[in-house]
Amino acid sequence: MDIRGLLLVNTGNLREEDSAFLVSGPLGLLDIAGKSALERASERLLAYGIAPVTAIVESTAFPLSGGFTLSSGLNCVSSTPERFWRAAENAFNDMAQNGAELVVLVRLGAYAEIDFEKLVQVHLDRGSRVSQVSHDGQKLDIFCISASRRNDAASLFRSQLSRCRSECPQVEYTGNYVNALAVPRDLRQFAIDILTRQTQTCPAGDEAKPGVWMSGKAILEKGARVLAPAYIGADARVRTGAVITRCSSVEHHAEVDCGSVVENSSVLPYCYVGAGLDLAHSVVGMRQVANLRRDVTVEVPDPKLIDLISATSGKNFLHSAADLLTYLPRAAMQGIFSGGKQPQPDLSDALRKSSPALDGAAGYETPACDSDAAQKFPNMIVARRYGHQ
Amino acid sequence: MDINSRPVVVKRMPERVNSRTAREFLRDVQPFLHADRPQLVFDLSQVVQLDAAGVEMLLRCMSEAHKRDGDVKLASLSDQSAVVLELTRTERLFEIYETSTDAARSFSGFLPNAMRQQLLHNKRPAAPLAA
Repeated sequence: MDIRGLLLVNTGNLREEDSAFLVSGPLGLLDIAGKSALERASERLLAYGIAPVTAIVESTAFPLSGGFTLSSGLNCVSSTPERFWRAAENAFNDMAQNGAELVVLVRLGAYAEIDFEKLVQVHLDRGSRVSQVSHDGQKLDIFCISASRRNDAASLFRSQLSRCRSECPQVEYTGNYVNALAVPRDLRQFAIDILTRQTQTCPAGDEAKPGVWMSGKAILEKGARVLAPAYIGADARVRTGAVITRCSSVEHHAEVDCGSVVENSSVLPYCYVGAGLDLAHSVVGMRQVANLRRDVTVEVPDPKLIDLISATSGKNFLHSAADLLTYLPRAAMQGIFSGGKQPQPDLSDALRKSSPALDGAAGYETPACDSDAAQKFPNMIVARRYGHQ
Repeated sequence: MDINSRPVVVKRMPERVNSRTAREFLRDVQPFLHADRPQLVFDLSQVVQLDAAGVEMLLRCMSEAHKRDGDVKLASLSDQSAVVLELTRTERLFEIYETSTDAARSFSGFLPNAMRQQLLHNKRPAAPLAA
């Protein structure tokens, strides 16, 4: 029987606050433990004999130029957001024309380890046109569609998978693993589940020692420590004195500088983590840190702390060479212009002067920052004194 | 001993604390840091960008204050500043409070016993004379 796979990846199911972190696209495209959810889903389809697999990816959704590789057998088509659903429908029609009898449609979003054989069997037994997978009463964007039912498929694509023109019976998912992959916390959980082998999919690369997975080209400098379970991706560099621990993953081309501790965190591809930092319970990438304990995502624009590594080695080389060449002149200039000692302002002047850093909002004119204090002490920077006031 | 002579200074930090604004801010607070036993509270509620230079400036302020037997406390940390301080392992070096009022109030909690007893003594009403 000719069964083909269609994977859809777009940003439609992202929340606004998360899209700030994922300027580049949905979480399904980001590498976790060496592979993206898209690649893992594709591999799973291929493992069930569902081939060929075509992926429709929203064109703004590529995470990094040159940083996204597709596994063999996955035909990837990029599309603009406006034409995304049209492209999906066209891909379905092409499959039907080329002799497919069934099409298994998976939209990422959620990563689920579905028994596709069972799904197809139930679909055929019921004689359905379209079957949808559900989990705990919630519908997942995973369908089995009879290829001859183009109108049903068209209505499904045109409604962005929200409704079907005919009855769409649900197949209850009974597998072990579902991850919504909607927020950075899900991404982190996905990494933990892969590294602790809660999933059937496993980390890319080799198990260098029990629980420590490393790609062949990973660079572990002398004195760096990797404590299981952990993953170090291809061309990733862990510098001297750095520690990677508690289910952390350092993805390909990422770098953890000297003395930093990465604990229960995911360092996304091409991300640089500065020296001497303590990265814990976070997902870091694209100059942003999603702190899961505080449930916030913040931008860290200081390249000394978090940076984005250039994808091309040539750029890195030129940057390093330029730094080296300009080091002495810069040091000399700093020595010349920072030599003079600035006079210390008087305390009483400082009390009455407004701060240039605050654009006139500081100093004596500034009310206390807290609202309670502002009511009690307007126009004062002295909030209280010792004693019984 | 004049126990009312040491003010708690509350300073709001600018929105962006980079090397330039950190320098300016340090220049502003330097007179307070050079006072005897300085007590400073930095309010970080408006900080949307704190970089390594800002963290270095905070550490320098703390170091200066400690040299003169004083302290610098932080209050109302914004999300960005909280994450950066945690990332740079500096949050454990500072006392951090929800509000600047709490931070300012906290300074009185560490009065030396002698001072505390003197305060209590001053507050206590005079005992009635025996008849």
